[in-house]
Amino acid sequence: MSFTNGWKPSKRALNVLFLAPLTVYLLGLTLSPVAYTIVLSFQDRASQDFPSLANYRAVLGHFQFSRALLNTLVITALGLSLELLFGLAMALALASRFLGRGWVRALMLIPLGVPTIVSAANMRYVFGTVGYLNEFLYRMGLIELPVDWGDGGFKTLLTVVVADMWKVTPLVMLILLAGLEAIPGELYEAASTDGASQWQKFRYVTLPLLKSSITMALIIRGIDAFRIFALPLTLVGRSAPVLSTYAYFEYLDYNNPYTSAAGATLLLLMILTAVVAYLKIVGTEEVLH
Amino acid sequence: MMVFTLAVVRQGAGDELKSLTLSMRLQESEWEVMRKRVLPGFERQCGCRVKASDIPPEGLAKILEAMARTGRMKIDVFAQDNMRLAELVESRLVQDLSTHERRIPPEVLSSMVEAGRFHGKLYFMPYRPNVQIAYYNGARFRQYGLKPPRSWEELREVARRLKEREGIGRVLFKGWGGTPTSTLLYEWILSAGGDPLSLMHPGTVRTFQFLQELWPDLSPDSRRAKWDTTNQFLAQESVYLAQNWPFGVRLLVKEYGKTEIKTYSGWRGPVREAHVVGGEVLGIPVGAPQTGLALDLIRYMQSREVQETFSSALAWPSIRGDGYGEVEAWMKPHFQAVMEALGHGVFRKNVPYWAEFERIINEAFIRTVVERQSVDEILNVLHKRLEAVKAGS
Repeated sequence: MSFTNGWKPSKRALNVLFLAPLTVYLLGLTLSPVAYTIVLSFQDRASQDFPSLANYRAVLGHFQFSRALLNTLVITALGLSLELLFGLAMALALASRFLGRGWVRALMLIPLGVPTIVSAANMRYVFGTVGYLNEFLYRMGLIELPVDWGDGGFKTLLTVVVADMWKVTPLVMLILLAGLEAIPGELYEAASTDGASQWQKFRYVTLPLLKSSITMALIIRGIDAFRIFALPLTLVGRSAPVLSTYAYFEYLDYNNPYTSAAGATLLLLMILTAVVAYLKIVGTEEVLH
Repeated sequence: MMVFTLAVVRQGAGDELKSLTLSMRLQESEWEVMRKRVLPGFERQCGCRVKASDIPPEGLAKILEAMARTGRMKIDVFAQDNMRLAELVESRLVQDLSTHERRIPPEVLSSMVEAGRFHGKLYFMPYRPNVQIAYYNGARFRQYGLKPPRSWEELREVARRLKEREGIGRVLFKGWGGTPTSTLLYEWILSAGGDPLSLMHPGTVRTFQFLQELWPDLSPDSRRAKWDTTNQFLAQESVYLAQNWPFGVRLLVKEYGKTEIKTYSGWRGPVREAHVVGGEVLGIPVGAPQTGLALDLIRYMQSREVQETFSSALAWPSIRGDGYGEVEAWMKPHFQAVMEALGHGVFRKNVPYWAEFERIINEAFIRTVVERQSVDEILNVLHKRLEAVKAGS
């Protein structure tokens, strides 16, 4: 006697069965908290009126919100550009064959395995007023007094970008490296036969064929960059607020889940806008491809 | 965000044992002392087991409210930050313990009891006071021929001379924002004779003006300074003078070996010396299943034995005048500083609009002190906002 007693589930039933845990997980632990946060953002704390724009008025009128918004945009734009630049350079270097390439690849991926909070704590030793960077610059004779990297200005944002780059550029490199290795070698051979220079091969063969990988890297990293949280929180605290830390402080310090939800919803809106705009500009077929 | 981690469960306890659920927020090293040296004694005494959970102070009211709403109160006794009590009382989440006030040991300092009184009733019992003291690097001060400042004028002079000598500020103000900054502002305003809850009070205005003048001579680490990073800055010698809670003494002297770090109560303002008494109190939620055991635990926590463990093992100040018997010799001068600061201790007013007050006073700090905008103009605008909040609450 068989265990199933002759019953054979249909393919459709199996699909539903296998997808059910993930669906429950996504609905329960991702979508419903997001939906609840959005609902909360439209609820007035004092009167409990719904819908209300009171939280959005409070957030948009708060003196630190515009700063957090600007900081988020600068960190995202600068961070993405530099990560893409360095990631591409690293991927191109690692795509060529040389002795010990496997070891170098493995070494490059180490920062990816370091928890963000640990890398942020390490970076505090680098960018502190008595940190390694100031020590290095002093010994090189470039500064006489320690630089205050955390004064809240552009150099503070730069420390966040550099610290974030150290950790996530390997991911960009990995995506681009996969894209590079998928480009058929025959194309480069044909270009060489036609007398193309290295730059021309890069410009007319590599870059166009790498477009979908670049798009993917930009979307994945772009979303991450917008919601950057633990790193600026640990590294620079409130001297350079970003949207996620702004929402966090609203909840934690001021015990206001409503304005915190409004801040978080605005961040979500920004991410969605950026992704949709990018897909419109670049074209969804690049991603699908 | 809700952290609810069961941290202490006595292994192998039989099902017949009564259990008591205790909620408090401690650091890992503090939990270790609580688990290994404090709670087992109570478990033996009551023949029960204690289940301890780590709930952050900002989340406690929400959790109690949710439990009360469903009629299933799971917490028997909790420790809570003494500045987050009003919301528990106003929401009627805590039991009135007035009839048990006589159970408080007579050695407990009477001033410690007042923090738990609301509308003439005692809702919370004292267990752990806290007060900020001034830490300074004795070696550096000797090197520059400086004395620890005892007044605002001396503080200004020390900050100026250190900046002059080293080219960078070495005096720290906890300017991280949030509670670390508002707590310090509160006591500085009191020192100037001001009313922290009134931004246009002359003493309040004077405090912000003084801080604005002082800021250029302070350490740039001030913007990243809160209770934990302050220890780091003192240990790394990026600052030589800072106010912080006493728990840092053991960390700096024992763990970092910084025996040159000395402490004293701090400085007086133009009017007086004032130090905010922080810390935690114990309360029993309405509907707690084990109220009798909870009261026993509170009394146990107030005992001399436990208070001595807190002071010797964790460098916590004691609620009892006789709670320092076990303190090691090297710690005694530090506790002297704590006692002196407690002598100038002031409890913050527990107002229902505290969270909004913190938001506003932090904004005042950033705009006037860090960004150097006009003190009068900014305080005037924020004063009106605070008054509107008070009226609304």
